[in-house]
Amino acid sequence: MRVLRPGADSRNWLLLPAVLVFAGAFVAPLLHFLVISFWSVRARIMRPDFTLKNYVATWADYYDAMASTLLIALVIGALTTVLAFAFAYAIRFKCGRFEAPLLFLALITLFGGYLVKIYAWKSILGREGILNQALTGLGIIDQPLDALLYSVNGVVITLTYFLLPFAVLPIYGNLRAISPTTVEAARDLGAGRWAVMRDIILPQCEKGIVIAFIFAFLITAGDYVTPRFVGGGAAMMGHFIELQFSLGFNWPMGSAMAFTVMTVSLALVVLLRALLVRSLRP
Amino acid sequence: MSAHLSDLGWRVFALLAATFMAVPLVLVVLFSFNVSALTSLPLTGFTLDWYRKLFALGPFWPALWNSLIVASMVALLSVTVGTMAALALARMVARRAAWIIAILSVPMMLPALIIGVALMSYLVRFVNLPLGLPTVILGHLVIAQPFVIMIVYARLATFDWSVVDSARDLGASPLRAFLTVTLPIIQPTIVGAFLIALSISLDDFVITFFTIGGGNTLPTLVWGLVRTSLDPTINAMASLLIILSVGSTFLALRVSRYRGYA
Repeated sequence: MRVLRPGADSRNWLLLPAVLVFAGAFVAPLLHFLVISFWSVRARIMRPDFTLKNYVATWADYYDAMASTLLIALVIGALTTVLAFAFAYAIRFKCGRFEAPLLFLALITLFGGYLVKIYAWKSILGREGILNQALTGLGIIDQPLDALLYSVNGVVITLTYFLLPFAVLPIYGNLRAISPTTVEAARDLGAGRWAVMRDIILPQCEKGIVIAFIFAFLITAGDYVTPRFVGGGAAMMGHFIELQFSLGFNWPMGSAMAFTVMTVSLALVVLLRALLVRSLRP
Repeated sequence: MSAHLSDLGWRVFALLAATFMAVPLVLVVLFSFNVSALTSLPLTGFTLDWYRKLFALGPFWPALWNSLIVASMVALLSVTVGTMAALALARMVARRAAWIIAILSVPMMLPALIIGVALMSYLVRFVNLPLGLPTVILGHLVIAQPFVIMIVYARLATFDWSVVDSARDLGASPLRAFLTVTLPIIQPTIVGAFLIALSISLDDFVITFFTIGGGNTLPTLVWGLVRTSLDPTINAMASLLIILSVGSTFLALRVSRYRGYA
């Protein structure tokens, strides 16, 4: 154990550049962006103002899109988290010497490319895509399915695919801390499979599971590239927010929409977290 | 229920999930070498034509060049800034360090769209900075820096500080002790963090799209092409992106032995 010298804290200045990047290129832009959301636009020119009409319009005009975005985010968040937990659990406790290579694979695909992954699924899910070919070839369906691409299904498959390796990591990190001996000891003392899972494994992974879910939920709630490529412009908020910047030139409106989505998402996530944590505690 | 059967079930699941993660990327690369212009099976033969077409494409070379400039600057800067931060955090009480890391990692959890448009409107309206490669680099720093901090911090958690203390006791300045003792020991980790930052930057589309102003990087070029045409030239470029970012991640994991957990 190292004994801290007096004055050891003086190296805190080393944090300064990182904090400057964080404050200057992230916090300040976000604050400025929040201020803009209260501005108004007249004749396509943005004017300083203090109005709530952008927020009112967000609720009035995008009520449906907001609801469907949150629903899709909920589905993708849950699906990704469950798959990620199962994968992390399987490689940690059930795959023996394949643990390292399988984790390696997950990490490798993590940086496989956001746009590249969406493009990959666009060609897999299409009418002439491989999935339809395989399904018709196996005689499972007679006609190629159109509903794979340009629908909510496409968005769910593609985003779950993209988010999965990210979600595996925090959960796997928690599982690393559980020694297989603890699990064996519990089993030897007569604990059932489910009891081990509920009383030992799940409570230890609480943090990782929550992080994985929040990550998947928020990224989905703000995504616009996936709905546009494989979702047939599925009515998601990210899509409408982006339009305010690329076509509408209504930044204040886009900003109000972005803050509304994030605030509602965060509120929902906090609520879900409370429920989840209560159910994970033994 | 037999224990063997349920273990087998878990293994089959792990295998299926691993296949699910790998296959789409493998297919993209496979079709980039396929003769047919359609991305469907069966493969019709091996060709390099799509790569020839890609290399003959006017905007390709400037985009590649921009991508490489931005990614290497982001990697260099984020490793410098992130390693400094990790060195400070490593000597803090663990709880406080964990809090600071959590706060600095918030940009990783937010959709890139929000980071991108907020940064763009701030630069254009508030700072009056013209958009270009430097602003893209700034945007990427925000998302790459937390990865570097986490990777280097994880390595320093098991670092034996007594060797640094010995160097200091023998009269080395803090900088000299860092350069001659700490740096050589954590060098593989730093190289790993550099490569991870490189692939994060190479891969980013959304932040680049909003902060670049004019011109392209590889991902924004892919975006443009997918919207206008669908032929395996895109597969060729996508394969190039996969090779660049997966390759540097692969190297990073080999040299640093970082495995995504602290």
